[in-house]
Amino acid sequence: MRKKLLVWLLASCLPVTLAIAQSRTMTGVVLSEEKDPLPGVNVVIQGSQVGTTTDTQGKFSLTIPGDNARLIISSIGFLTEEIAVGNRTALTLTMKSDVKSLSEVVVTAFGVQKEVKSLGYGVQEIKGQQLTEARSSNVVNALSGKVAGLRVSSNGGPGSGSTIQIRGSSSVSGNNQPLIVIDGVPIQQSFDKSYGSGISQVNPDNIKEMSVLKGPNAAALYGSRAANGVIIITTKNGAGTKGIGVELNSNLTFERPWIKPRFQNSYGGGSGYRTWYNDGWSGAITDPLEIEQYRAAYGPNAPLTGTEGTDESWGAPMDGRLVRQWWTGKDVAPLVPSPNNWEDFWQTGRTVTNTVAVSGGNDKGNFRLSVGRLDQKGIMYFNDYYRNNFKFNSGYSFTNQFSATISAEYVKDGGSRSYGSGQEFIWSHRQNDWTKLRNWRDYTGIHIQRQVAGRPADSDPPNWQHTFFTNPYYSAERLPATNEKDRLVGNIALSYKILPSLNLMVRSGTDVWTDTRININNFERVRNGNRTPGAYSEEVLRRQETNHDAILTFNKAIDTDFTVNVQAGGILRTNYYKRNYFSAGELVVDGLYNAANTNPSRNSIASRIEKSQVNSVFASAEVGYKNALFLNATARNDWSSTLPADNRSYFYPSVSASAVVTDLLNVQSPVLSFGKVRASWAQVGNDALPYQLLQTAVAGTSWNGSTPEFYENTQIANSFLKPEITTGTELGIDMRFLRGRLGLDLTYYRQVSRDQILAVEISKAAGYNSRILNAGEITNKGIEIVLTGTPVRLASGFSWETTLNFSRNRNKVVALAEGLTTYVLASRQGLNTEARVGQPYGTFFGTGFEHAPDGQIIYGVNGLPVVSSTPRVLGNIQPNWTGGWLNALSFKGFSVSALIDVRMGGNLFDEGTGTARWTGQYEETAVGREEGVIGKGVVNVGTTENPQYVPNTVIVPAKTFYGYNNPRSYHEAAIFDASYVKLREATIGYQLPAALLSRVKIRSAKLSLVGRNLLMLFRNDPHIDPEVDRFGANQQGFAYGELPSSRSIGANLSLSF
Amino acid sequence: MKKLNVIFLLLSFLLSVGSCTKEFDGMNTNPNDPTSISPQYLLPYALEASIDRYWGVRTRFERLNLDGAMCWMQYLTRNIYSNEGDNYEVSVGFYTNNWKGFFNDSQVNFQRIIALAGPGGRYENSNYEGIALVMRSWVFSVLTDVYGPIPYTQALKGTAAEPVYAPAYDSMETIYAGLLDDLKTANQKLTVSGPAVSGDILYNGDILKWKKFANSLRLRLANRQAVKKPTESRAIMAEILADPTTFPLFTSNADNATLQNTNVLPSNNEWNQVMVQDGRTDWNISKTLADKLNALGDTRIRVYAQPNKAGNYEGHPNGLPDAVATEYLGRSSVLGTYFIQTTTPSFVMTFAELNFILAEAAVDGDISGNAQTYFEKGITASFESYGLKVPEGYLTTVGTATKEKVMEQKWIALFGEAIESWTEYRRTGLPVLPAKDPRAVFANDGVLPTRLKYPNSEYSLNQANVQQALPMIGGSDDMKAKLWWAEK
Repeated sequence: MRKKLLVWLLASCLPVTLAIAQSRTMTGVVLSEEKDPLPGVNVVIQGSQVGTTTDTQGKFSLTIPGDNARLIISSIGFLTEEIAVGNRTALTLTMKSDVKSLSEVVVTAFGVQKEVKSLGYGVQEIKGQQLTEARSSNVVNALSGKVAGLRVSSNGGPGSGSTIQIRGSSSVSGNNQPLIVIDGVPIQQSFDKSYGSGISQVNPDNIKEMSVLKGPNAAALYGSRAANGVIIITTKNGAGTKGIGVELNSNLTFERPWIKPRFQNSYGGGSGYRTWYNDGWSGAITDPLEIEQYRAAYGPNAPLTGTEGTDESWGAPMDGRLVRQWWTGKDVAPLVPSPNNWEDFWQTGRTVTNTVAVSGGNDKGNFRLSVGRLDQKGIMYFNDYYRNNFKFNSGYSFTNQFSATISAEYVKDGGSRSYGSGQEFIWSHRQNDWTKLRNWRDYTGIHIQRQVAGRPADSDPPNWQHTFFTNPYYSAERLPATNEKDRLVGNIALSYKILPSLNLMVRSGTDVWTDTRININNFERVRNGNRTPGAYSEEVLRRQETNHDAILTFNKAIDTDFTVNVQAGGILRTNYYKRNYFSAGELVVDGLYNAANTNPSRNSIASRIEKSQVNSVFASAEVGYKNALFLNATARNDWSSTLPADNRSYFYPSVSASAVVTDLLNVQSPVLSFGKVRASWAQVGNDALPYQLLQTAVAGTSWNGSTPEFYENTQIANSFLKPEITTGTELGIDMRFLRGRLGLDLTYYRQVSRDQILAVEISKAAGYNSRILNAGEITNKGIEIVLTGTPVRLASGFSWETTLNFSRNRNKVVALAEGLTTYVLASRQGLNTEARVGQPYGTFFGTGFEHAPDGQIIYGVNGLPVVSSTPRVLGNIQPNWTGGWLNALSFKGFSVSALIDVRMGGNLFDEGTGTARWTGQYEETAVGREEGVIGKGVVNVGTTENPQYVPNTVIVPAKTFYGYNNPRSYHEAAIFDASYVKLREATIGYQLPAALLSRVKIRSAKLSLVGRNLLMLFRNDPHIDPEVDRFGANQQGFAYGELPSSRSIGANLSLSF
Repeated sequence: MKKLNVIFLLLSFLLSVGSCTKEFDGMNTNPNDPTSISPQYLLPYALEASIDRYWGVRTRFERLNLDGAMCWMQYLTRNIYSNEGDNYEVSVGFYTNNWKGFFNDSQVNFQRIIALAGPGGRYENSNYEGIALVMRSWVFSVLTDVYGPIPYTQALKGTAAEPVYAPAYDSMETIYAGLLDDLKTANQKLTVSGPAVSGDILYNGDILKWKKFANSLRLRLANRQAVKKPTESRAIMAEILADPTTFPLFTSNADNATLQNTNVLPSNNEWNQVMVQDGRTDWNISKTLADKLNALGDTRIRVYAQPNKAGNYEGHPNGLPDAVATEYLGRSSVLGTYFIQTTTPSFVMTFAELNFILAEAAVDGDISGNAQTYFEKGITASFESYGLKVPEGYLTTVGTATKEKVMEQKWIALFGEAIESWTEYRRTGLPVLPAKDPRAVFANDGVLPTRLKYPNSEYSLNQANVQQALPMIGGSDDMKAKLWWAEK
């Protein structure tokens, strides 16, 4: 196969070589009406087979036979031009768009720009400007609702990572994250909720465009990691800039927590209808003054104990009675509600981003240098993040044949991000006034601490209790989790035009980062008479991925009807990981975080190195006929170091076709302006993680600091692993009506993943937790619909553009391995999310209540829900469908846009809501505290065999009743619908008139007001924004006191000179 | 044509790069974790993991001993969150994670030691093999006594030559027979003059003590099944008692199987971790224990508890709802300081318990010895293990060794080893626990848990087999089914 290809390549090249004989060379540049360079334009000498295509800067160079020659210049989406060369040696040409056709050029695998028309698979592209206005610090969050089939779950914390999922989950175990490629070279993308990684470090101001290649069909050439799709980012490189240009972009946004849980404001903290702070712990009241005060509030019979040890809100009515509180010392103060304490808890977050870029270009080269700075202050106090991006892109043509490009970015980011989730509104006292708790320093003198006889007095910072919690503001300030990360991403590419139609590119790129994380775990203090020392841990991580590739590209118009594009190449990828971890359990001098300042017997250390390599060769061929019919085939073979020698090599092909029906059939209709059908079939192989072939022992913590311990790895290794293969089939239709005013893009896809490499959980009685094996078959089927339209376009300049996208993915676990029916994805409080055979991926499996045939909960004669004796399926994490609706209005310099983002269906295990009901925080728990509650449901008054259901009428105490929301025992009580409809973002922009600007030498200026997460239009979860993700990646669907999503409002100014 | 040659060269270069994988095997050799390791490093881990989980697993909502057995046997009671076990309500993690912990943290490592040190193993050493066999048997006995029928014959075969990933369940009768055999084998393997062992944090390499533990444990299990299988059990007891040279037993507290915890965290006593390091104050002494010891004038209360503010040893009833239980915070005694030290040992089996076993066997007529002698030796050993002397007249107060008296004294002596005490209670119904307090609210229909439910993970991952086990416990997987050795 490979030899044939070679022969064919040679045969095609030969005649061209001969044609060089007697002639002269002319150069040219092809521009669009907007004066942007047009790449990939076919330039053919009329009546011959001689021709070329323009490069990325729109330039071409062609040997022409003589002055009489005429050039035919054609490109999809543009009207074909015919030009007489005359005696010119250089030529600048502007092409006019062909409105009835598709004009988009998108970036596909390996950065090859292709007309949408020619693609046999679905690709969606987002222009840079759409990402920079209503921005989030993680650029991928801006894709939510804009790309059909792409789902982003953001986490909201400063600089946090987001889970990205394209077309559902194809892999049961892997991270299901798409591959991120920047300027042709992959960067490392992993989900990391607190620290972010990969795409979250990209500066959106540098992005020219992003292409989303969905699934294996689009991404086959990227191999292994492309099964979950690819996000290709092309950064601005200064090409097309005349002279020196300067861009400035400033963005300032403010953030407030968004969805507030509905709290009860009737009862205070504690238990037994009593609220009383004694000494921070559950303890006896013995002081005579205190007894007197206490008796005045609770009468003669109430037990003499404080209630602050109970971190729940089943306390006294907040009716102004005088009670001791943490901040009153020996005095008492009225017990009153703090209905706004949720708002008080958070600060207003602020994000400032500034980017300055200088770019320039001429016929020899181009460059762009940009510096960006982001400063983010989180909505939690003492949580912040910064990011500096230094980016340099440049290209230079040394000769007509030889050119080089360089792309380099240094990113430094970090901050203090210890707060990811909290229990301040789950295990809490409703009367807490967080402004007082934030000003705890004012109360250190009067705050009563516990004193145990014969022991040192407690020294915790003032707080509403000390049994379970430390003042969160003190923790955020004094126990930060900080990091500092340096990342260098770059590549150098050399391109050599061996023949006008044959190009060789050699490229080497790397992404290397090192991250130092210092996490302070404890400060020296006395709690309940016990002194605990300061403690901290330090972790240094280093990761590197390097790709070397060489690609030969043959691109030629055989004649005016046939074009050929062939690529062949090889890639060598290496990955490296190093971790050094040091944990100090006891500091000698508190507050000094250095390894030498520790008690060595309490230290523990760990380190790890991982290396892997994948070698690949690939080839791709595309044949185009009359610019209307395209056939594309790719093939790739990988050799991976992580697989056993016998299974190390694996091959996977793809084929796709695209037919522009309207051109082929010469449809000239006033209604249907353009119509295309496409089809593709592709495979993608994937390898294993390193070191999964042999059983190992793992080091544990030494006994008594001196006897080393090892334990058997409870994951069973497998020395017979095979690569996993995902096969995708995709069909699509793309139609434009009414001269492009209305467009419809429809995609159907089916992906089957086989032989997935899984760590499958097994019965623990086998001695092990899981085993690595090739298991199963998972299918994803779905449709994606993108509807675009310009309902209004007036001569006055007013236009309304609208885009509607919809996607629906159906996921099914068809088989696992050898009698296995379940793969556990994540587990929390005994509740699993699982891949169960015959069910969609992400099934919740846990303990539920008994239900009558009509769905009502069955109560026992005691008035309490009947709990099922065996666990069962309780829901699923996957949405039924997702969608977005983007509207943009523009009139002269004004533009207004709004995006609605929809997720319908799917569940989440909101342990926070279940717990906060159990602990008496939420509104509904205030009902019936004095008189009891009747659970809504039925009682079986018949027999088990012949049930007869009547409404439940038994009154039970409220606390007992709401105790059945305890998600640790009754999982079903915390399963909620995760649907939402949000006004995700809106912008109002004004482009200042050019006439005005030219006087101050400003090329363009735009001012926008931007907002994100503006309105929650619909949700079913009663208390929180269901777009939460505690663990991310493959462990979606869990929430427990997550940092609330925030609404941000701000302004964006972009200037270019 | 030069250019063509370049292309040729390039393409062939690419292909050779692609398939050049000579270094891959080396690259994929794990540089972090050994593929084989001597039993001396596995042994301390497995000992620590199994004994910690038994004595005081520290993770909240899975404290099998502190929140389960210690409360159920009414040694301790909760002053808050009685729904974490005290009122018989347990979370799913409680019965799921203890199962996982015993199998994945301890059993798999004992099994690996047996494979490595057994005949033909890479580190052949009959003493490691014997130690691992004793410990594996002990953990299996805890598991079956807690859950009922469990995988045994097919268990721990995840990496066996013919692996089993979803093992079948065995009846308790089968498991007991297997364990009694294994303990006999272990005693044979353990050779005092045999090869040395390292990493033995329980007996510091003293093989004779391991033999004593093996035989004492075998006696415990034989006694437990004595009513169900009298002939076999009597034969085992007779075999052991007839030949102390071949089958040595504990002869003093110095032989006790106790893990000596240390000052260096995390090798500290788990109760210290929970109550001191983590600052939990949720427990008081149960009224049942305090009342009994006060009535007997039993000075062990001074070790088990601290006096309350009034200077008395008082407890409060189990199962009280939080609003009531918190009343006792300031009034009830708390756990004795001895038990919350970093270095307090974790008890696995003691000389005192052995004597109570023998006393019961004598009362039941399973052995021929003098019940009263064993009984009094047991009481004395228990006092002495805390550095106490049996108070004047105490033995008279206690009186004659009846089954009730033996089981009551055994209950007092097993303070801390509540899982064993809970098992013995479920077997004999002794000691008789007082009627529940009228204010107490119990889950599980008020039935003191008779076992733990099977973990949810078994229903996910081993469903067919767990379903087949249900008929052996009466068809329903709950905490009310009586286990095989139950005598009443």
